[in-house]
Amino acid sequence: MRSLVLHNMWAHKRRALAAGVAVVIGIAFLTATLLLGNAMTRGIDDLFSEGYSGTDVEVRSTDVIASGERDIAATIDESLVAELAAIDGVAAAIPVVEGTAQIVGADGEPIGGNGPPTIGTNWVGMDRNPYVLLDGRPPVGAGEVVIDSGTADAGDLRVGDRTTVRVPAPIDVTVVGVAELRSGEQMGGVTFTWFDTDTAQDLLLGDADALYAVDLQAEPGVGDEELRAAIESSLPSDLEALTRQELIDEEMAAIEADFLGFFTTFLLAFAGVALLVATFSIHNTFAIVVAQRTRETALLRALGASRGQVLAGVGAEALVIGAVAATVGLGAGVGLAIGLNAILTALGAGVPTAGLGMTIGVAVLALAVGVVVTLVAAIAPALRASKVAPIAALRESAIDESGSSTVRAALGTAVTAAGIAGLVFSTDIGSSPLQIAALGGLAVFVGLILLGPVVARVAAAVIGTPIAAVRGQNGVLARRNAMRNPKRTSGTASALMIGTAVVALFASLGTSIKASLGDLVDESFGGDLVISPEGFSGAGLSPAMAADIAEVPGVDAVARLSFAAMLVDGRNDEPLATDFEQLAAVAELDVIEGDLASIGDGGFAIGRDYADDHGLALGDELTAEFLDGSTETLTVGAIFVNDDLMGDNLVDDAVWERHTSTPEDLIVMVDIDDGASLTDVRAEVQTVVDRYGSPSLQDSDEYLEAQGEQIDQMLGLVYGLLALAVVIALVGIANTLSLSIHERTREIGLLRAVGQTRSAVRSTVRWESVIIAVFGTVGGLALGTTICWGLIRAIAATEGFGTFAPSTTTLVVVLAVAIVAGVVAALRPAARAARLDVLDAISTD
Amino acid sequence: MDTHHSAALLDPPGAPTRPAAARVRGAVKRYGRGDTAVTALDHVDLDIPAGRFTAVMGPSGSGKSTLMHCLAGLDTLTAGQVVLGDVDLGSLNDRDLTRVRRERIGFVFQSFNLVPTLTARENIVLPSSLAGRKPDADWFDQVVATVGLGDRLRHRPAELSGGQQQRVAVARALVSRPEVVFADEPTGNLDSRSGTEILEFMAAAVRDIGQTIVMVTHDPAAAAYADSVVFLADGRIVDAIDDPTADTVLDRMKRIGD
Ligand SMILES: Nc1ncnc2c1ncn2[C@@H]1O[C@H](COP(=O)(O)OP(=O)(O)O)[C@@H](O)[C@H]1O
Ligand SMILES: [Mg+2]
Repeated sequence: MRSLVLHNMWAHKRRALAAGVAVVIGIAFLTATLLLGNAMTRGIDDLFSEGYSGTDVEVRSTDVIASGERDIAATIDESLVAELAAIDGVAAAIPVVEGTAQIVGADGEPIGGNGPPTIGTNWVGMDRNPYVLLDGRPPVGAGEVVIDSGTADAGDLRVGDRTTVRVPAPIDVTVVGVAELRSGEQMGGVTFTWFDTDTAQDLLLGDADALYAVDLQAEPGVGDEELRAAIESSLPSDLEALTRQELIDEEMAAIEADFLGFFTTFLLAFAGVALLVATFSIHNTFAIVVAQRTRETALLRALGASRGQVLAGVGAEALVIGAVAATVGLGAGVGLAIGLNAILTALGAGVPTAGLGMTIGVAVLALAVGVVVTLVAAIAPALRASKVAPIAALRESAIDESGSSTVRAALGTAVTAAGIAGLVFSTDIGSSPLQIAALGGLAVFVGLILLGPVVARVAAAVIGTPIAAVRGQNGVLARRNAMRNPKRTSGTASALMIGTAVVALFASLGTSIKASLGDLVDESFGGDLVISPEGFSGAGLSPAMAADIAEVPGVDAVARLSFAAMLVDGRNDEPLATDFEQLAAVAELDVIEGDLASIGDGGFAIGRDYADDHGLALGDELTAEFLDGSTETLTVGAIFVNDDLMGDNLVDDAVWERHTSTPEDLIVMVDIDDGASLTDVRAEVQTVVDRYGSPSLQDSDEYLEAQGEQIDQMLGLVYGLLALAVVIALVGIANTLSLSIHERTREIGLLRAVGQTRSAVRSTVRWESVIIAVFGTVGGLALGTTICWGLIRAIAATEGFGTFAPSTTTLVVVLAVAIVAGVVAALRPAARAARLDVLDAISTD
Repeated sequence: MDTHHSAALLDPPGAPTRPAAARVRGAVKRYGRGDTAVTALDHVDLDIPAGRFTAVMGPSGSGKSTLMHCLAGLDTLTAGQVVLGDVDLGSLNDRDLTRVRRERIGFVFQSFNLVPTLTARENIVLPSSLAGRKPDADWFDQVVATVGLGDRLRHRPAELSGGQQQRVAVARALVSRPEVVFADEPTGNLDSRSGTEILEFMAAAVRDIGQTIVMVTHDPAAAAYADSVVFLADGRIVDAIDDPTADTVLDRMKRIGD
């Protein structure tokens, strides 16, 4: 039996190879993801380890409030440095200042801020400083900075250059030094700006006596834990001490949650889709091979092979293919990981990859997944093979036109119907419509896979009708060929369906989010101009800018929003601070109780749902706690309905400004006088904005468009996914066609004999391929769009906004891509079919 | 049986030689090279008379199929010439050969004559459909009526008996009014009753409409339907008889075998 398996595979190398390709691609992605993820984790860990190499224990405040994208920590008093330095075991106590500072490059554009932080900190001349100056000297006094070498390169800045740093107010500075980690490693996208300690305190913390933390270095022979134990007793309760390892772990957890997690999840999704598509491809190949081998199998059975032996034979074949393909995929994965990292590096988001070396864990996992996927895909065909009756050896093998057992049709219909019900009624059942809609979507997907063979005949007939009408007899033959084996057609199409469904889903989600945003802004925003920082992780807007804009003639109102890190009645609902009177002019909040314009100092405005959830009414008083340790009483001055754009709890900005020494605006909205010319006023506002480091000034349409661009970037990644799925599906289609053509050798010979030209043979194969591709794609697009519709409905029900807007352009483009893919997939099989020797094909024996 | 013999007698011996529908001159077909080379056709000269039913006979491996394939533009000669009507097949490329097969030649094979996905009707009109033409409707009806397929036209090959399938094949071969119909053991897979029917249709087509038919067979009874029989052995034409009967054919076969 074993030699037969090997012999079979050797005889059908091409087939085995094609089945394996899908696994190779899937495993390559899995491997690359794991390797890259591991390498990045290790690389970033190394980076943090080095960054903290001058710190054994850090002392900082325990008071932290999450606000916007950041965690805002309370500052600690500078006097602590001397106190801690005096404790036994402490060799050095280093003051640490940390905040946000975004440096502007030689071209006037701010550097970084599109995800990775833009760190402003203080330069300390100390032993064990992890950073070394490559050039220049440490900063001294206001107006001098040292920047990291990556930022210097990105901004084309050199020692001696003058530039601006946004903290967020624009400060004129001279670059006096360029530094980097001793190892020379960099974290892509993170920027560092070092000031001297006094300047950093002043600019970044707004308080000459405050520090973010104190870093301690231990005396020789004193361990980190030991040092912490030594100082802990003398720390006030609102301070904590963390060892170097804890600090590294904390940073790693944060980056895992933030970037690495997203990155690896995304790549894993790629690998997952690839492997899912691969499973369908392999399943299909095995199903065809088993069908074609029916007589051979029956002969074996007649000669005394047991069912188990037949089963084991197919299983062994799958095992060998899976193992070989997974091994190749593993190798390809290493290459892919290197390639992906090169791309990331080129994009400036490269991460130090501490060697993309293979680990046993990754190798074992990838091999196991590859083998398991292949085996799972081969199970059903193997079982079918084992059920071949010995008598089948004597029968002329007929065309298998069966596609649909009644059970399959019933089950498929039931599952699909249940799924659609889930999507339609998600908002009526239970409390979590999104989960129900997602489950419904999954059910529709499974249902469609089940129904595939049931509908394939009709679908191929319908899709083939125009082709038959236009392409004449070749089209008719293509259509009939696509219809003749519904299971095969649907199996082949499924692979493409999955890929296109994912794309349709995300593309339509993207356009729907854009449409929702558009509706939201139309509904809630009554102003004319919006000023916002370019990136979301850079410096915010200088509050002084809003004041300056208010002076521009023709400006009616300037409303600013900023994150206010505070607890209200003990809760952190991440309130936004604003000037209510101004806000009333630009935002349509749909106030139902109270009056925004008259809220005044100490006022708090909340959404209706927020009021309901917390049992609040107009005039109620709440206690606000701040990081500076003080509290204030807030009064509910307005209750509004429209809480989509500005959030559901707003606090008067006068309150917030009393408790922060580093105020910065998140966004500034401008309304102009009715009679004023938008163009003129905008030009004036632009000159003001330019003085503040050129954040982006947009009207509401431009603002929306910019938001849309971010969504489009995300979609770009999804199209990468499509490309991958299409490639695998292409291999699958090509493989099926090759097998079908092999099966139809005599038929093709006959057609050639009675007058079908070579190019007509090719055309027939090509159109069959297109029919299969269109079938899969239309299914996928319908599936993806339907799921999107269900999800958006569910979101609309929970979030109160959400407009379903399918991306018609994408749908059309994907369909076009699928048709081209169908043609491409048919190239080789069609060429083989056309090359068939007529005589070989028609010879009786 | 006798009636059919008389059909063949419509063209009595001694009648003036008919123009040739196809001519073979010095045909050599060699497979392989060197020691293992097989000469399937060894300098064959042959005229296929137009409007006649010619049978090609010979022992297995004597080159019958090879000769027919070369005549029909399915294979090319190693040396020599095949002229169909006024066209030298050797001078045609694949595309033109295909067109010749589609428009000027009809085929009936021993088995697997029909495209399984097409109905009987679609199979019959296949050559003209491939050419993008509509067949002559009257002629189509007439052929279909003659072969007796009236109610079977909408069926797929899988739903037809072997005899019916061969009748569809004969109808296909006739419907495009080809210059020559080639049949390679068309009754080889059939029971004798179905076989007889097929042979009768072919003989009738020759008799009634002057169709030229070349049929390869190893069955003397089948050859007896032909107007003349050509005997092949080792790739050479070794004998020929006109107006054969099963007995005369058997007799010659025996002699060749010796
Ligand atoms: N494709 C081929 N390659 C090699 N030899 C062949 C091929 N086709 C036929 N032959 C040889 O040519 C000879 C004639 O074959 P064929 O024309 O099929 O004979 P027949 O039809 O009379 O049985 C035989 O010896 C056969 O083995
Ligand atoms: Mg033969």
